[in-house]
Amino acid sequence: MNTLAADVVAPTTTDSGHWRVIRTIAVKEWLDIYRDSRLRWLAALTALLMLCALLFGANQMQRSERDQAAAAQADRQLWISQGAKDPHAAAHFGQYAFKPQSPLALADLGIDAYAGTAVWLEAHKQNEVQFRPARDSGLSARLGNLSLAFVLQTVMPLLAVMLGFAAFSGERERGTLRQLLSLGVRPVDLLLGKGLAIAALLTVLLLPTFASIVMGMWLFTDTALLSLVDQWVRLAWLSLGYLFYIGGFVLLALAASAFAATSRTALALLLGFWLINCFLMPRLMTDWVRDSQPLPTALEFNAAVAEERKRDFGHDESHPAFVAFRDEVLLQYGVTNVEALPVNFRGLSLRKSDEVGYAIYDSHFGALQQAYARQDRWRAAPGFILPWLAIQPFSMALAGTDSRSHHHFTIAAEQHRRTIQTMISDDVIHNNRHADPSYSAPPALWAEIPAFTYLPPSSAWALPAQLVNLSALAFWCGVAALLALCAVQRLKPV
Amino acid sequence: MLEAVSLTKIYQGVPALDHLDLLIPEGEVFCLLGPNGAGKTTTVNLFLNFIQPTAGNALVCGIDSAAAPLEARQWLAYIPETVMLYSNLTGLENLDYFTTLSTGCRRSRNELLALLREAGLEEKMAYRRISGYSKGMRQKVGIAIALAKAAKVLLLDEPTSGLDPLAANEFAGLIEGLRQRGMAVLMVTHDLFLAKQCGTRIGIMQHGRLAALFDSRDTDHVGLEQAYLDISRTAVAA
Repeated sequence: MNTLAADVVAPTTTDSGHWRVIRTIAVKEWLDIYRDSRLRWLAALTALLMLCALLFGANQMQRSERDQAAAAQADRQLWISQGAKDPHAAAHFGQYAFKPQSPLALADLGIDAYAGTAVWLEAHKQNEVQFRPARDSGLSARLGNLSLAFVLQTVMPLLAVMLGFAAFSGERERGTLRQLLSLGVRPVDLLLGKGLAIAALLTVLLLPTFASIVMGMWLFTDTALLSLVDQWVRLAWLSLGYLFYIGGFVLLALAASAFAATSRTALALLLGFWLINCFLMPRLMTDWVRDSQPLPTALEFNAAVAEERKRDFGHDESHPAFVAFRDEVLLQYGVTNVEALPVNFRGLSLRKSDEVGYAIYDSHFGALQQAYARQDRWRAAPGFILPWLAIQPFSMALAGTDSRSHHHFTIAAEQHRRTIQTMISDDVIHNNRHADPSYSAPPALWAEIPAFTYLPPSSAWALPAQLVNLSALAFWCGVAALLALCAVQRLKPV
Repeated sequence: MLEAVSLTKIYQGVPALDHLDLLIPEGEVFCLLGPNGAGKTTTVNLFLNFIQPTAGNALVCGIDSAAAPLEARQWLAYIPETVMLYSNLTGLENLDYFTTLSTGCRRSRNELLALLREAGLEEKMAYRRISGYSKGMRQKVGIAIALAKAAKVLLLDEPTSGLDPLAANEFAGLIEGLRQRGMAVLMVTHDLFLAKQCGTRIGIMQHGRLAALFDSRDTDHVGLEQAYLDISRTAVAA
């Protein structure tokens, strides 16, 4: 076709040359950002927000840890100093089980403020967790609550959008894109260079936060209960999730900038998506899930439990179930009345009543937790394209502050309650054989009953349940990367 | 070096470029004249592959710019009416940036300064931000980019529009220097004097076709102007 074609060999850029091109673009973009006072202010403001969130979080954790330690000590003291006492009265006297804060609550406070931090362990009844900081806070504290998770999940994407929306469209408007493309630069090199510059800035902003969380982990991890290595593992997964989440926003901003004719259009598109992702859809999905997968109200739940507990005789000696149980025991021991039993019948009946109650509570609380899990699954379902819905549960789960972790604590607390009940019933059964109404258990029994110690689950327990959300985040980031690649391949100077 | 083979671009049924055949060998400056809408800038954009041809081929050093735009662009340099550079970077930083991007190699500061000097820019200006540059100075940075890139083809789209006569004359001198180095130059312009001064051949376009072709040695300013006006009037009448 052309006489010159034969003797001309096109110059080629080597791999190291491409890397040099990418690095050069990244350095120039970094300089552009650095020299733009608006972006400097925006970055400084975000850093300040993160610092405030960290300080508030650390302060709250410290206060909570201190209060809990004091309350747990006082409660234990009360328990063991009961003196000689009817064991069943002691069971009703009860004690608290306190939920230790996850060290990574510094990164994500999760539902702890709303779900409560302590549970009252008493005879016959599985209580809900109480002492909810959110309920105890004043209106201003509720409205002005600033968490690191909020900054990471809502403010950082906005910063990514602000840094990226004009990356290509701005060049197009200034006319420099024409000059750039005429050079024969690979569009993918432009994308990588610009993406690297934004990613580098976000990393610089996030590094002090990361360091603070690591420091917090050291400070707040009770190594007697938790493995510091496991906290590192949790933090690594958490970081990966946020990498996908924020990285996706960087890539989406670049895609919109390459695709849109003007920076204004790109910004409008991106802000629209940001609003839908961070505010509109979480609200809509919460409402939809609440309506489509309704939970019983507290009143309904308690009424349902109470209804079923009618099967249980409790202290009612005229209850048909009580009569049936007594007959069964008498038959078992081959005696005709309870006074002839070699054990204390009241203790046996208390234990039986408790066992019936356990099954009822397990069934109701289990169903409630399943309903929560179902709601969570439905709510997170659009997380593949609206990543806030995936990162929020993922972040809480890896921080150990989600409803599943909370449920893990309530199960442990309930197990402890059952241990107390069993030990007390056993004392009555074996040490008060003649049903002496004035019987008192010795004070040593209270100290014998161990204090509640909670071993939070490991990352290996938390992660499998979050693989769907992690996949959603990876998918989101992949789709954003694909969009960005397609957009830059079609990049035109006008 | 630069070849258009039956190159055609049609916008919504209207031909902007109609079967253009053109060959610009090395060491030649081909000036394209013509009224607005004649298809001059479309020709440049097709060589750059900023737009896709409807038919035909735009070849840069034998490489079809539509089939392999990145490879084709490796060989060419482009100077539009106003060379758009990064206003917050200095002339030297801009040259460094564009040179690295086009070649994948970094040049030393001294090499870059030498290139700017060769393009006619004073050294002290190299350290000033582009926001303080005149249009002529920007064009010189554009020339320096072409030199740094060792481009074999130069595409100029009304490069002296808005330049004062002194700057335009200086620019013409630079183009002549590039021609002597063996560069093939396609210059789109409305400036008949510049075309006569720089061009080795001059083409006048009308309705996307090459309506007239001159060897610049065979025509003078007056003859060129008369031919241009005749073609433009025909275009208006049509």
